[in-house]
Amino acid sequence: MKKDIDLLKKRNRKRRDLMERAGSTGLALSGFIGLMFLSVLVWQIAVPTFIEGETGQIEPASEFIPVSEYVLKWDHPTVDDDGALIGDPVVLELTWDDGGTERTHSIAVTVTSERNLREDIVINASGVSTEAVEVGKKTKFYIQSSLEVPVDIHQASGPVPAADETGSPTVSSFVISADVSVVVDDGRFVSHPLTMVAWLMLVFVVALLSFPMPAVLSAMEALLNRQAAVRYTLYGLAAGTLALAGFTLEAWLGAGCWTMSAVGINRTLQGMERLKSQGRDVTQFDRLKHSITNREGVLMWSRMLLVFSTLFIPLLIDVPFLTERYQDIFQPYASGIRSAFFGTIWVMGIAMVVSMPVSIGAAIYLEEYAAPTKTTKLIQALVTNLAGVPSIVFGMFGLAIFVKQGGIGLGLGPSILAAGLTMGVMAMPIIVLASQEALRSVPTSLRESAYGVGCTQWQVTRDHVLPSAMPGIMTGSILAMSRIMGEAAPLVVVGAAALVLFDPEPLAGLLGGNKGFTVIPIQIYFWTSEPEHAWHSMAAAASITLILLLAAMNSVAIVLRQHFRKRLNS
Amino acid sequence: MSMLERISKERTRYILFFTSTSVILITLGIIQTLLFEAIAFFSEVANTRGWFSFTVNLSGVASAAGLGALMLIGCAALEWRMRVDPKVLIRMPEKAMFPPKSAMYGIVVIALLAWVLIDSFVLRLVLLVVLFMWRRAANVFVLLPNNNADKSDRTVLYALIGGAVTVLFFSATKDYGGAFGEFFFTTQWTPTGACADRRALCENMSFGVNSLLLTTIQVAFGALFLAVPLGVGCAIYLSEYASPRLVSVVKPTLELLAGIPSVVYGFFAFIYIGPLVVQFGEYAFAQGWIDAPPNVLNPINGAIVVGVMILPLVASMSEDALRAVPNELREGSLALGATRIETTFRVMIQASLSGILASIILALSRAVGETMAVTLAVGTVAVYTSNMFLPAQTMTAYIAQRVGGDLPFGEIGYMTIFAVGLYLFVITLCLNLLGNKVLSAYREAY
Repeated sequence: MKKDIDLLKKRNRKRRDLMERAGSTGLALSGFIGLMFLSVLVWQIAVPTFIEGETGQIEPASEFIPVSEYVLKWDHPTVDDDGALIGDPVVLELTWDDGGTERTHSIAVTVTSERNLREDIVINASGVSTEAVEVGKKTKFYIQSSLEVPVDIHQASGPVPAADETGSPTVSSFVISADVSVVVDDGRFVSHPLTMVAWLMLVFVVALLSFPMPAVLSAMEALLNRQAAVRYTLYGLAAGTLALAGFTLEAWLGAGCWTMSAVGINRTLQGMERLKSQGRDVTQFDRLKHSITNREGVLMWSRMLLVFSTLFIPLLIDVPFLTERYQDIFQPYASGIRSAFFGTIWVMGIAMVVSMPVSIGAAIYLEEYAAPTKTTKLIQALVTNLAGVPSIVFGMFGLAIFVKQGGIGLGLGPSILAAGLTMGVMAMPIIVLASQEALRSVPTSLRESAYGVGCTQWQVTRDHVLPSAMPGIMTGSILAMSRIMGEAAPLVVVGAAALVLFDPEPLAGLLGGNKGFTVIPIQIYFWTSEPEHAWHSMAAAASITLILLLAAMNSVAIVLRQHFRKRLNS
Repeated sequence: MSMLERISKERTRYILFFTSTSVILITLGIIQTLLFEAIAFFSEVANTRGWFSFTVNLSGVASAAGLGALMLIGCAALEWRMRVDPKVLIRMPEKAMFPPKSAMYGIVVIALLAWVLIDSFVLRLVLLVVLFMWRRAANVFVLLPNNNADKSDRTVLYALIGGAVTVLFFSATKDYGGAFGEFFFTTQWTPTGACADRRALCENMSFGVNSLLLTTIQVAFGALFLAVPLGVGCAIYLSEYASPRLVSVVKPTLELLAGIPSVVYGFFAFIYIGPLVVQFGEYAFAQGWIDAPPNVLNPINGAIVVGVMILPLVASMSEDALRAVPNELREGSLALGATRIETTFRVMIQASLSGILASIILALSRAVGETMAVTLAVGTVAVYTSNMFLPAQTMTAYIAQRVGGDLPFGEIGYMTIFAVGLYLFVITLCLNLLGNKVLSAYREAY
């Protein structure tokens, strides 16, 4: 054995030692260069926005305020405490077409240092309700129109809405500073009372499921015979919340809270009933807790919903950059990504609705049902290869099939619907592969024991395999969605617009209306392509927002994965 | 039992089957879309310029390329003989297959010198092929006593014959024209031309896609140049050296790196990497290494940023391949007295080579198909130049940039993006098929 270490000379041994050390150090270094890139990337994006606190010049007057039904808010007063004017007066010009003649009204806006002073402007056929309004700083007021025709609003002079007294806000103030109102703001509740009650109810249910308290359980014993009544009352309250609070985000979350509470209470009551039929004390519910709530993830879903609804029901987060400002073509620093943010949400929603059922069905077929025939092999090969097709090719597929008219084109135009469908098609192979992986990891013994007690194939799949694989499938789907969220190339091809000054209309492709839409990555792309440096700061701000949103989504996936692992171990 | 009864009895099965056939539909849809418009493009061009034309240039056969073709044919003949009757190699002396170490170094030096001295690109490639065939023959030579060489796999033979025919064809012809000749064999890409009407085909338009292809190749291979050493090194370190605690920190970070959207990488390249590359380029220009001053947008910029993007892919896939190697191999090598670095490079890498290769091929496919980062980093000027400090345009960037300017259905610009898209699709599909084949080969091995 020539290589035997004992036969080596001392010099050679030293050389080998040195090689060993140099080699391992080099390998470690190669790994850390990757990490270094990440830190440089984050640093380079963060520096121009947050750390240097770059400021931009905002030019007064000739403002372009985009839509007719408009919410305005000034961050700083235009008059001092004695009523003397600071800088230019704020004058809004309202113009609309009144049966062939053009009507113009100008309205003077005085912003005082007092907060919560609000005065809305109402426009109807007879004209404008007032010539001058007085509002407090940082207070929203509305211009409401009951006319059939759109009203154009131009600002003739004065500082732009939501700017500071020098007219030059810092970029960081757009991204970081968020008004968080807790429960009560401006002398009233931040959310509809019913949604608040719903949130409290969910808190109660989560607490009950996490720590079943004997006192509460024995109090609930009275409800045992009225399960259906309790359930339908809670569902009714969900519907009522939606109707009364007006289908807003809070209303939807409130309805979700009611529904989740109904499910949670129902499970508790069922468990208590089972205990009772076994002749045990109903207050021993914690014995049944795991089998009743953990198997279907009721507790986990309740907790996740609780986290989300806490952000929007008792706390009201208000990030102007994200949810209030549209793009402002003249003033980079006053721009926001409202239309892009809602566009992203809609595109992802449609993509999810389209792709998830189909891809999970395909995965179930391929893993559970399909015999290894040629067709199955073909489908499997196609899925694997589709996952590697460049995203821009999916964009061209969407352009020809969904956007354009003629041939086999559906002619939806460059709309949210076409974009969502394209993204759904793109997500499909990714979700199929992830779901297959999850289904494959379900032990065969589970299937065999279910067959052993006489289940049909569909019963085995539905009741045993799917519940076990669900967390894996959900994790894969969320990761696919987060990939979709950051993808811009297909939407450039589908025809996302560079400048969208209204909220996207999801069904405009079918029903007609404003088809234009944009998403956050597209906004970053167009802002980066602008020559002016100010836009690059805005692109950095949008990039950080996007990375944070993606991190939030991925952490949901991680929560799911952890939950799954814990259950496997227990 | 009639078909209808069977369907109603097992309707879940059929519903699920139909969901999975949507994959076939999507694939057919993609191919149909690309093919339909690409055919429209080629026939539109062919209407005025013909399908394919070239002039025969027999004197080209006598040049270096002709020699290369001849050598390739020789290689193909050797391959064929080896397949039909491997015993033909018995007559070869063992020294020719496995020369002593000093002769090996000599051959390496000669090969390197030849690579530098040979002027023709084709001949350089043929040189590599000849070396490859020599090692292949040596491999068969070793396996002869067992005689278990796989006779059915003819990929190499067909590749050699195809290469020889292609080289022969290109050495004997020049001046390509017509729809196909212009698209695949020329280098001038001016699809808008200086025409009065940009919608219809006109004389000044030129569609030599090689201009886009060259930049794509520059960016993709440049990215590999960065990502493969770093990624594979990182994978080896993680699987062989790192403590579990370090792995639990580094792996999620790599996932995070993989999760960052490509447009953010593009922004990063635009504001940070570009200016750095320009600084280097200005030095190179002052030294006279390049003939034009550098630009912020350039293929090097794109290669670096795409390299960072594909690094996590290479690292995590290579790590999986290394982890799949049975522990006995590692332990056996260590027990024989090899150090860890020797075990790593002589045992582990050899054993997981096909997995690492698959990760590289799939990463290459990803790099070729990358769009947003490349569009923002490389530029939008389609030029055919080897100077990588000048703005250029990749295939994906052309599609993204051209389609951004609201293209009406049916005009020539609309058709070109589909022709380019089809080419891109075919390239990435081939890479993916190859990568998945290599991947399944190593999955079978362990």
